[in-house]
Amino acid sequence: MEKTVSIHIDGKKLNVQEGKNLLQAAKENNIDIPHLCYHRKLSPTGACRLCIVKINGQKGLIASCTVRAEEGMEVIAFDEELEEARRFILDYLLSEHDESSDGSYMDEFKELVVRYGLDDKKKRKYAPIWKYLGYPSDNSSPVLTYEAAKCIKCFRCIKACDEVQGKNVLSFTKRGIASYITGGFEKWGESECDGCGECIQLCPTGAIVEKPHRDQIMLHQDHKKVKTTCPYCGVGCQLELIVQNGKIVRADGVEGVSPNDGRLCVKGRFGYDYVSHPDRLKVPLIKKGGRFTEAGWDEALDLVAEKFSETIKKHGKRSLAGYASAKTTNEDNYLFMKFVRTVFGNNNVDYCTRLCHASTVTAMLRSLGDGAGSNSIEDYEKSDCILVTGNNMIETHPVTATYVKYAAQRRGARIIIIDPKWTPLVKDSHIWLQPRLGTDVALLNGMIRVIIREELIDRRFIEKRVEGGMKALEELKALTEKYTLEYVEEITGVPAEMMQEAARIYAGARRPLIATGMGYSQQLTGTHNVFCLINMMLITGQIGRKGAGLNPPRGQNNVQGVSDVGASPFTYPGYVPVGDDENRRKVAKIWNVPYRELDPEKGLSTVEIMQAAYRGEIRAMYIMGENPMLTDPNLNHTEEAIKKLDFLVVQDIFHTETTALADVVLPATSFAESEGTFVNSDRRVLRVRKAVDPPGQARQDWEIITDIAKRMGKPLGSYRDESEIWDEIARTSPIFAGISFSRLEKQGIQWPCPSKEHPGTPTLFEERFNTASGLAKLHPVDYAEQTEKADNEYPYILNTGRILYQYHSSTMSRRNVSLNQFANEAYVLMHPDDAKKQGLSNGDKVDISSRRGVIRSITVKISGEVLLGELFMPFHYSEAPVNRLTRDELDPYSKIAPFKLSAVKIVTGS
Amino acid sequence: MSIKEIIRQFKPEHHNLLNIMHALQNSNPGNYLTKEALEETASYLGLTKASVYGVATYYTMFSLEPRGRYIIRVCISPVCEIIKAETIIKHLEKVLGIKTGQTSSDRLFTLELSECLGQCHKAPSMMINDRVHNCLDKNSIEEIIEEYRQMSKSD
Repeated sequence: MEKTVSIHIDGKKLNVQEGKNLLQAAKENNIDIPHLCYHRKLSPTGACRLCIVKINGQKGLIASCTVRAEEGMEVIAFDEELEEARRFILDYLLSEHDESSDGSYMDEFKELVVRYGLDDKKKRKYAPIWKYLGYPSDNSSPVLTYEAAKCIKCFRCIKACDEVQGKNVLSFTKRGIASYITGGFEKWGESECDGCGECIQLCPTGAIVEKPHRDQIMLHQDHKKVKTTCPYCGVGCQLELIVQNGKIVRADGVEGVSPNDGRLCVKGRFGYDYVSHPDRLKVPLIKKGGRFTEAGWDEALDLVAEKFSETIKKHGKRSLAGYASAKTTNEDNYLFMKFVRTVFGNNNVDYCTRLCHASTVTAMLRSLGDGAGSNSIEDYEKSDCILVTGNNMIETHPVTATYVKYAAQRRGARIIIIDPKWTPLVKDSHIWLQPRLGTDVALLNGMIRVIIREELIDRRFIEKRVEGGMKALEELKALTEKYTLEYVEEITGVPAEMMQEAARIYAGARRPLIATGMGYSQQLTGTHNVFCLINMMLITGQIGRKGAGLNPPRGQNNVQGVSDVGASPFTYPGYVPVGDDENRRKVAKIWNVPYRELDPEKGLSTVEIMQAAYRGEIRAMYIMGENPMLTDPNLNHTEEAIKKLDFLVVQDIFHTETTALADVVLPATSFAESEGTFVNSDRRVLRVRKAVDPPGQARQDWEIITDIAKRMGKPLGSYRDESEIWDEIARTSPIFAGISFSRLEKQGIQWPCPSKEHPGTPTLFEERFNTASGLAKLHPVDYAEQTEKADNEYPYILNTGRILYQYHSSTMSRRNVSLNQFANEAYVLMHPDDAKKQGLSNGDKVDISSRRGVIRSITVKISGEVLLGELFMPFHYSEAPVNRLTRDELDPYSKIAPFKLSAVKIVTGS
Repeated sequence: MSIKEIIRQFKPEHHNLLNIMHALQNSNPGNYLTKEALEETASYLGLTKASVYGVATYYTMFSLEPRGRYIIRVCISPVCEIIKAETIIKHLEKVLGIKTGQTSSDRLFTLELSECLGQCHKAPSMMINDRVHNCLDKNSIEEIIEEYRQMSKSD
């Protein structure tokens, strides 16, 4: 229990937590002790000396940021002597400081100078000497500038980079008055800096300021601040956008709010250029004679309605399908899903989750009853063991990774990585298991065998919380018996003792979290991989309490929400199966449609829709904010399928490889022009708020959808605004029942939130699993060899994935100057020995082909990050569409495609 | 030995940073740390470039610029100061034809200053590489410098 102590500051009695930082305690009680080097998120430094106080029984003036509150402490924070000392310190600092400002940053130092009357130069005792100190400036970073003459050497940037972001890229150089901050060897642009900008956000003086739009940021002039949710990955970082003259000119992280507590990554902070990019779609387009011509909304929507209706009439209800979008809001997706179910009259609605975590979700639903992360993102910070499987989280979920690094670097947590490819988190890991691609089931079964044989199981948990109890364990034991150390080592290439150690650490940990990513899910055996993870977790009892569980970090901003609100061929809002009669009756009533019109048959999933289109069974499609022509597997096949459609409508913010094949293109709003909500990876419903006006005639997705429905004679309902759509979502899905926009004003709420009084659920499965019996289920599964293997003709195994600086099909990220400066070229990673064998050197261009297709002129990067015989390519780049090589064979349970494993050959000399 | 070989003599533990940097600097005929040496050190110890650079620029005994074969460090602590270290420095500058901080054109000598060398009883003092020279005056300085010049020829 935390003990409270009472202290006095300037005679005012405060009750504070024992040991609390004295300066922070004062701040929280509105006692404004001046300070510059202290920041809530950082360890106290005591460098600026401005927060000095007097404490009874202690000698001298003491920096309050370095003192912990104790019972009976009598503190003087303000008297003439202290104030004079502070004025002296500020005066001294000023003499070494260039105080000119272009108004593009917040200046805490300047505020104090004014507060202490030192803006009046007559009151200063010390002449400026900064000009003679030869302070340099560093302009080499793509995203920021550093000016030593404005730096007060407070350590905030160094600690922001080290303690908050876990990167430790910055340091002081030289000593004494001559010292200043350095990134790399005084060249920030050549340092390890990845551009997250935490240092910018915490710099109190404008020594470190961002470059993009600096000439347009005028903080002393009229500007608007809008809190919203980041449009990139599924962490759901809370952003504050600064809008000036109708344009976003800056993004900051919102301090003190989960999940990011002010942190951002380079995409979140600098990736908003695309919103005002001239390439935005601004008017509806209709293809006439093979070319797009601009049309009015009426003309375009009339045509869409007519063609969709015609298709229904000619080919039947089930000949249409829709792709919803993980980029747009819950409200947009809910109405999209409602549109497909009530206007098309079928369940052919899916989206990119099918290509992402479908297998994870499927395994979790079958075993645990819920398909979402069981814990909160910030729980990683307090975990003592983090098992990271097929998940390059530093690049793909950078802010989640900051919590993981904190646990490893500052709390001694042990990180276990299972990944065939090196990822930057390996540097912080205790152990890195590097199995050959596609051998995860064998590895995990081996670990499970170790756990059972060494009696590291949690018998009580198994008996109480697992269906079948110890009998179920016996089945698992029998199945895993053959996965001996030698057998597993032979299949996976992982040394037996490393596998044993990893199993022991995980089983013995007090609060272990599993973070599983695309490496596990995007395989033909994706569901089996996650079944094995869950088996291991259940027999060790490592779920169902705060800080222990299984968490798939979601790749896109709203990939969680779109499933939650029911854009799925299999489930309605809140994960109720489409075949559930009672639910369909309930929803039909809410939607005010005849119950019989709601199709009880499951619809087609993402890749199945394309396959049906290829066979001529799907004749018309409505695609909202997706780009299957780059992201679907086996693209050549996808292209043929789309070309066979009678009619394709694509609704997006930019032209993409997919809009090129559309008959009608409808311009939609970006996140910054939309109102609504996203749901992030830890099930947090977060507000999205409009910051700027949409370009041209672009409209928010849900408005377009409702207009088409109306024109087809089946209106979806009338909604005044997004909050009314949300309220309907809350009525249809029990997990959201207690959430309304008014509750989300300050911060998000984690589902399930069944009632208005319910605070939300940070940790799932504490009491029961969400299965019918309330118990979790083991699913023992055997290792099966991959259906596609390296052979003489196609000797390499190709893995695909993401990088930090680009995002998905990069329609957004590549329209940002800063992000492109960091990374803008496709490449293939190849093991040094393979390169030698092929006679290749760094920078050579090669063609890569598989049984499905070929991509040309790819730059070779030789790297020890991949295993011998394995290659890696990012999938972001349209000029290197790696999905021309991948397969559309599907995992039978989840219908996910094996993006992570294709046999290919290298053709040199292109 | 190559840079990598020198570094690998030490265990990859952070506390070996200073030892590694000394070994690298001493092995370089120019008596300084190259950018490559710093980069290799950082990657071997798992440190960022700036951490290594910060340490290298903090300590005055490390240099990032090429220096002479012999580093002269004249003591400027109070006792030496009182016994006129200043004239010693001026005379050294004259004999070597360089200013403090510079390297002679034959790349034999670099003239630097140092805090107390612990030779107060025999002030004024200076060190040349690892050897201490005490009770300096104009004559002895000239003799000492000449001695090193000769030594360099016989090496």
